[in-house]
Amino acid sequence: MSRTGKNHKRLDGFQRLLLLFVICMVVLLGYIIWSTPGSKPVLTGAVAQMQEYSGVESPVTAVLLNFRGYDTLLEVMVLLLAVIGTWSLTEAFFPVQRSEISPVQMGAVRLLAPVMCLVAAYLVWQGSHLAGGAFQGGAILGAAGVLMLVTELPALRTIPVLPLRIGLVFGPLFFAGIALICLLFTGDLLGYPKGAGGWLILLIETACAISIGLTLALLFAGGRPDKEFIWKNNP
Amino acid sequence: MTVFQFSSPAWMVCPVILPLIAGLFCFLFSHRTFAIALAAALANLLVVCLLTGQLLVFGPMRCHMGGWQPPLGITLRTDGPALLMLLMTAVTGLAITLYAKGYFSYRISDPRRAGRHQRQQRYFWPLWMLLLAGLNGLFLSNDVFNVYVTLELIGISAASLAALSGKPASLLASFRYLLVSLLGSLTYLLGIVFLYRSNGVLDLDLLQNLAANGLGIRTALALMSVGLLLKTALFPLHFWLPPAHANALAPVSAILSALVVKGSFYMLFRFWFETFQSTITLPALNFMGFLGAVAVLWGAVQAIRQHRLKLMVAYSTVSQLGYLFIAFPLAGVDGGIPVWSIVIFMALAHACAKSAMFMAAGTVFLHLGHDRIKDLSGVRASLPITVFAYGIAGVSLMGLPPSGGFVGKWLLLTASLGSSQWWWALVVITGSLLASIYVFRVMSRLFVIPEGFPLKKSEPHFRLLEWPAMVLALISLFLGLAASWPLYILAHGTTTLAKVFAGGLP
Repeated sequence: MSRTGKNHKRLDGFQRLLLLFVICMVVLLGYIIWSTPGSKPVLTGAVAQMQEYSGVESPVTAVLLNFRGYDTLLEVMVLLLAVIGTWSLTEAFFPVQRSEISPVQMGAVRLLAPVMCLVAAYLVWQGSHLAGGAFQGGAILGAAGVLMLVTELPALRTIPVLPLRIGLVFGPLFFAGIALICLLFTGDLLGYPKGAGGWLILLIETACAISIGLTLALLFAGGRPDKEFIWKNNP
Repeated sequence: MTVFQFSSPAWMVCPVILPLIAGLFCFLFSHRTFAIALAAALANLLVVCLLTGQLLVFGPMRCHMGGWQPPLGITLRTDGPALLMLLMTAVTGLAITLYAKGYFSYRISDPRRAGRHQRQQRYFWPLWMLLLAGLNGLFLSNDVFNVYVTLELIGISAASLAALSGKPASLLASFRYLLVSLLGSLTYLLGIVFLYRSNGVLDLDLLQNLAANGLGIRTALALMSVGLLLKTALFPLHFWLPPAHANALAPVSAILSALVVKGSFYMLFRFWFETFQSTITLPALNFMGFLGAVAVLWGAVQAIRQHRLKLMVAYSTVSQLGYLFIAFPLAGVDGGIPVWSIVIFMALAHACAKSAMFMAAGTVFLHLGHDRIKDLSGVRASLPITVFAYGIAGVSLMGLPPSGGFVGKWLLLTASLGSSQWWWALVVITGSLLASIYVFRVMSRLFVIPEGFPLKKSEPHFRLLEWPAMVLALISLFLGLAASWPLYILAHGTTTLAKVFAGGLP
């Protein structure tokens, strides 16, 4: 580390000790990984064997949405939980608009945002046979939302709260609903009926991609959109 | 339909799915959120009772998610310990739901800060429901990675709940809590990586059969244990607990102290005494017992030194968690000491007593506007039920008969003396004495009414604030008398410990 800057704090004794400890642990873990043999991949074989019953061709999607769909259901809840937690803490900060949005920026957003939505839709659809799916599509949607947020589009301030809540809950609720309906019809939570797996997974992924995209964009906004804040700008 | 039959294992998903959907609706709607949460808590209790009936009739059950058998799919399972933890969560959770309603109603009735308290209540319900779903999922899960997901659910919702009060102290404490919790989760995840690399499966039953005494398994177990210990706040990893628990809103403190730390502890215990039993060595058990013993003494001494009631109760949690770990070395001895029963029993008694105590402390705080221990005199005049609940919960924490705490400590004592490890018995007795000091220190002030003390009348909302604590305290008291019930469920649910409690109660 550099010793030149006066403001730059040097490590004290405890931190040095901690650093040494961390380095020792890393070396130890590296040694253990290097010295223990990996086991034969039990699961890869099982996934390949059951692939044709899953309704999708991509093994990753089959694991995420079918074999271990319960995990994914809970993961989607974790994402929603992040937004609820953020909203409970603070309000979103929208700076007062000082100047016009530059036409170059505006033009870029106008060109990019629709394309990004299209790409997101394609990624969700592609998830059934290649890499892709709800999380990837949702990430692109979230990026589109962030792009619009940094451009400070005036239209964003006027979005009422209820549609945002509905959009956030839509994906997880749809997922849980399908899981319960499957429970009623086949006796297993998320046990898709024979032959219906493919399109049910596509529906779930589409619903979840919308909610995930909204979740990520709202996390970037960094707080709840309070009425008094959204409707009239505080100085 | 076969799903609704009594024998159907599909009932198992209800304790997870019901609170999950209730949480989503609580977030979506701005009105009647309490009704939704109460309905979910009640339904959860009913389903757990049904699952208990199922266990007593059919024995332990497995439910494969999506119909996929392990190693491919995820399995949920019920057995004695899992069900007792579910029962604990359901009963305590219902009482906390009612108390929270009373707590927020009381605070919203104060017009000065009504907006803020309304907002807190608005976000409390979805967070609490999702936390409940995560806890139930953890207790039911039979898959190491699924456990990680439920730990995430619990960790993030618990940290958000702890930050709900919005005061700088609670924000700081809950931020630290979040970081510690994430560090614990990541360490646990690293453990899973090692486990998966050396075994290739994630299901706990399969792991139990496969688990060899290899370096990979030992590393995995060490990493997962450290992650879970960090979340359980065993000494010396307890540093985050007292500020986070003491600065949260009262219902949140009760949730965190009674339920959340039990989740990670339960998983740790399953790993040590079920899945990886063949990997565990006696020195490791003794080390855990040693840390537990230090926690018992250190937590109690710190509790005695506190000037604020809620901090005292929070340090008492550090101390009481230590007892759970003292049971570890006693399990390694020959003679089939029912370590499940000791630990689960202590956890049950502590959950009821500690949540009652935090509720009582919260009510006192609401009533007086502070919780300085030296200025607590005279509360009995206006809050007789709360003070009584505090006293009874204290009886269980001290371990006086006939409370659940007494039976737990009695089992610990007999186990340690029976296996001629008298030093653990010494710690248990000293810890109880110290506990009586910190409990009586507050009680002596609570029960005294100074002369000329103005007698206030009870306020209308106080019924919901006082009775849930009272009921939980009574449960913890009579748990000792009804000790054979939970032990019967335990004996039914675990084949390895079939002879649990043949000797009868003290």
